[in-house]
Amino acid sequence: MNALVHAPGFGLFLTLAAYLGASELHRRLGRPALLAPVLVAMVLVALALELLGIGYEEYLASVSVLTLLLGPATVALALPLLRSGRALLADRGAVLLTLLVTGTVSVAVTVAALEVSGAPDALVLTTLPRSVTTPVALTLGETIGAATTLAVVLTLVSGVLGATVGPWLLDRVRVVDPRARGFAIGMVSHGIGTSRALAESDTAGGWSSAAMVLNALAMTVALPVVARAFS
Amino acid sequence: MPANPVPESEPPRGGASPVPPVPAVLTGLALLLGLQLAGTVLVDLTGLPVPGAVVGLVVLLVLGVRWRGVVARVEPAGAPLLKHLQLLFVPPGVGALTQVSTLVQNAGPLALAVVGSFAAGLVVAGTVLQAALRRRAPA
Repeated sequence: MNALVHAPGFGLFLTLAAYLGASELHRRLGRPALLAPVLVAMVLVALALELLGIGYEEYLASVSVLTLLLGPATVALALPLLRSGRALLADRGAVLLTLLVTGTVSVAVTVAALEVSGAPDALVLTTLPRSVTTPVALTLGETIGAATTLAVVLTLVSGVLGATVGPWLLDRVRVVDPRARGFAIGMVSHGIGTSRALAESDTAGGWSSAAMVLNALAMTVALPVVARAFS
Repeated sequence: MPANPVPESEPPRGGASPVPPVPAVLTGLALLLGLQLAGTVLVDLTGLPVPGAVVGLVVLLVLGVRWRGVVARVEPAGAPLLKHLQLLFVPPGVGALTQVSTLVQNAGPLALAVVGSFAAGLVVAGTVLQAALRRRAPA
């Protein structure tokens, strides 16, 4: 048993099995956003590591190939942007304005909420990348000195929020244009929100993934500047 | 009466093997990795405070606008990677579960910050873009 559990490939096998199982469960239950495969798989793997007495460092070494793929996956984010490039260019004024205003409001609210409740500066740094798509949030978190693992959880929480209450909230404020709905969800809830926006319509999905990438680019430029005030 | 000795269609040119020598997904992955590394070199040379992979993204964007062939080469690796992006977040997520104490200690402020900026961002983005699009092209 010890030989199996501590074999170099065990952590990777565990992760793949948990992800495949969670995806199948997700599909059979009619794709509820709260049971996103990534969340279920995360909990399953954490439990298994605890039960089998495998340290996190050892686990990380086993799944290094997945960590390595985050780079190429980030580069591949250019693909959805290239696909919807024409529509975005036609409305570039509106898109840039939205990007700028929303980014400012989003960062301001994050900082204000944490400052008012007296949280330490380190926590502010960790919370800042939360609206950015996870691969970028990870590397960006490292650049600005955030606790990356915690930053990832906050990012995932934002994504799940967008997929669950996002459409409802947009209904409340009467945003009906599928382009605006998709873009809003993509800006605050990146990939997880995008999969939800795709379920609404192709237009919403396309604008959502474009918003996700544009927001990631904007935040990559802006956050190091904002972060300087807190480090 | 000439019979019809000519076959209805020519045999495929270039021999019997339609399988490309290198699987398309490997070519795509190599290109993506190459772009990431190029981005890393650029970051190193310029000292930009930006992750190399994000620079790689921008480079692919510029190349893709000029040459559609680049996009077609990258797609076989890029599409499945993006479709299962979530799988890559499992390991850092597991790490975060081990940091639950930080999360619980600051649960109040964190919830306020994340939910607050989520709701504000969503509403602002939706209403601003809808209004701006309407001004450009009234329905």
